[in-house]
Amino acid sequence: MESYNPDYVLILSGDHIYKMDYEVMLDFHKEHNADVTIAAMPVPMEEASRFGIVVSDDESRIQKFEEKPAKPSSNLASMGIYIFSWPVLKDALIKLSGQPGCDFGKHIIPYCHSNGKRLFAYEYNGYWKDVGTLGSYWEANMELIDIIPEFNLYEEFWRIYTKSDIIPPQYIASEAVIERSIIGDGTEIYGEVHNSVIGSGVTIGRGTVIRDSIIMKGTVIQENCVVDKVILAENVTVGSNVVMGIGADVPNKVKPDIYAFGLVTVGENTVIPADVQIGKNTAISGVTVKEDYPNGMLESGETLIKAGERL
Amino acid sequence: MRAVGIILAGGNNRKMRELTHKRAVAAMPIAGSYRSIDFALSNMTNSHVQRVAVLTQYNSRSLHEHLSSSKWWDFGRKQGGLFTFTPTITAENGDWYRGTADAIYQNLDFLKRSHEPYVIIASADAVYKMDYNKVLEYHIEKKADVTVVCKELQPDDDATRFGIIRMNEDMRIEEFEEKPMVAKSNMISAGIYIIRRRLLIELIELCAEEDRHDFVNDILIRYKNLKKIYGYKMDAYWSNISTVDAYYKTNMDFLKPEVRNYFFKTYPDIYSKVSDLPPAKYNPGSVVKNSLVASGCIINGTVENSILFKRTFIGNNCVIKNSIILNDVYLGDNTYIENCIVESRDTIRANTRHVGENGIKVVVEKNERYAL
Repeated sequence: MESYNPDYVLILSGDHIYKMDYEVMLDFHKEHNADVTIAAMPVPMEEASRFGIVVSDDESRIQKFEEKPAKPSSNLASMGIYIFSWPVLKDALIKLSGQPGCDFGKHIIPYCHSNGKRLFAYEYNGYWKDVGTLGSYWEANMELIDIIPEFNLYEEFWRIYTKSDIIPPQYIASEAVIERSIIGDGTEIYGEVHNSVIGSGVTIGRGTVIRDSIIMKGTVIQENCVVDKVILAENVTVGSNVVMGIGADVPNKVKPDIYAFGLVTVGENTVIPADVQIGKNTAISGVTVKEDYPNGMLESGETLIKAGERL
Repeated sequence: MRAVGIILAGGNNRKMRELTHKRAVAAMPIAGSYRSIDFALSNMTNSHVQRVAVLTQYNSRSLHEHLSSSKWWDFGRKQGGLFTFTPTITAENGDWYRGTADAIYQNLDFLKRSHEPYVIIASADAVYKMDYNKVLEYHIEKKADVTVVCKELQPDDDATRFGIIRMNEDMRIEEFEEKPMVAKSNMISAGIYIIRRRLLIELIELCAEEDRHDFVNDILIRYKNLKKIYGYKMDAYWSNISTVDAYYKTNMDFLKPEVRNYFFKTYPDIYSKVSDLPPAKYNPGSVVKNSLVASGCIINGTVENSILFKRTFIGNNCVIKNSIILNDVYLGDNTYIENCIVESRDTIRANTRHVGENGIKVVVEKNERYAL
């Protein structure tokens, strides 16, 4: 940081989906002669207790913070987007260098506030989604397939760029059925895809039916599978006649707060053998074989992680 | 690689009708995501040719746009690179390229400044994969002056739009007829040549002195008894796109699994400019069968046995059959398109019907597009 010697520092998170012109926020920061500017968006009052809430006065100057308050006194939620004037941030970082687990929201911002620095809330109104949990990640993806999505990737203005290394078009076979889905380059669909987000270079075999799922780059699902509400990471191989996402909605036994929402979560490079059934709130990772599935079944709430055996 | 590459991309072609009114044949979109020149360029880079010149003149705007960065084909390097040469008016020269030999003559400096002993000359109007190293090995083994890559067409293909070749048992070319009225055989020149760089410079300079301008007629045909010109027979997929029917057929070939797998999934890859588009979107009402769909498309209707290029919008209740919809086309609701090629960036209003009755119809409406 010292070598760049900036006037301002913009701090962002990589797990948020939104479009924002940071320059407008920086202009706001300069205009208000602020030390710290925090982007905040209005949320419904009943949901405000899930967020870090900022309370500001008529000039947008922040009076106090409430971290996940039971009784919120404002509905402005911090988006985890900050602009600092560099001397202020530098001072805070040095003073708090001994702080274990030093965190922007928990330590640095409160430190600046208690030292009388000028903290302002920059109000943002638009689509913003934190995808830091499997549930919100799944939801954000499902929102992209709405007829006119609130977060529209197809607008010419403010395009979203990515690294794309798969060039060929996708092929949709004669027997395929596709409804309410988005599908990436180079993918081949021979089965059915409903309400799903399919990445690039994926193969969906004949007779396979995909519903409400997210399937990432390079994954292959063979024939006659049923895939319901599943997140499959990159380069997964699923054998024929596999049924995923069936049975009762039993909480995950190991990490009920993570593997929830009725989802089946499959890690990258995982192999799932043919003819097995997989329940809800499950997690699978590694090269699994038929013997890992008692009676050909991974019951709801189970976790199957074969560490060190990834392809 | 011991060769430099020259891609002849300057040709204009009336047989492509409206499709080449606004672009060079080399920039024709292929298989949803590519342009014709990508095949020659990818073959060059996959054969480790490091210096490639693209010679272009007619309607070259879209070709220049496509070649705006050389990184997509991995030519962004300190040594070598990708060069595009258009005709330049200088003190000595006030002409356009008057032919393929003249195009090379006007850029002879490129060859004179190279150090590689050989030159690979390729055209940009064919879809194929080829390791030019294999042809160069053959060229050296045969001690040839020029090697011409040739291809045996199917008996029902029209060979008269190509150069027809007859070779002896040693594969030396004895007869070469350019676009004859009647084809004596179905062995044709694929428009890919290997020649020693110094010999090429010498022949091109001789040609220019005699005011001759065409590489095929004035060098290959004129010198065929004087120089050792050999044919190299290519067996893999090769398809020329320079008529409307050939262009349509070549694109539709990609609906066949063997062609698709050969180009999309078999090493080495074909590269193209990447355009950062979102995934294709299938809204309720979309029915897609046996079709290729590129990124950025939004589909609300029926698409069968067709190819949708990038950013096509298909409205509600549309039916698209056996057709090619080029980049950025907007099809309004209830449109019916069959046996057509719809020109890129076109806007087809709702309730329009276009059917190619006797062959493929090229649709160019040039309607205003209002903000979507």
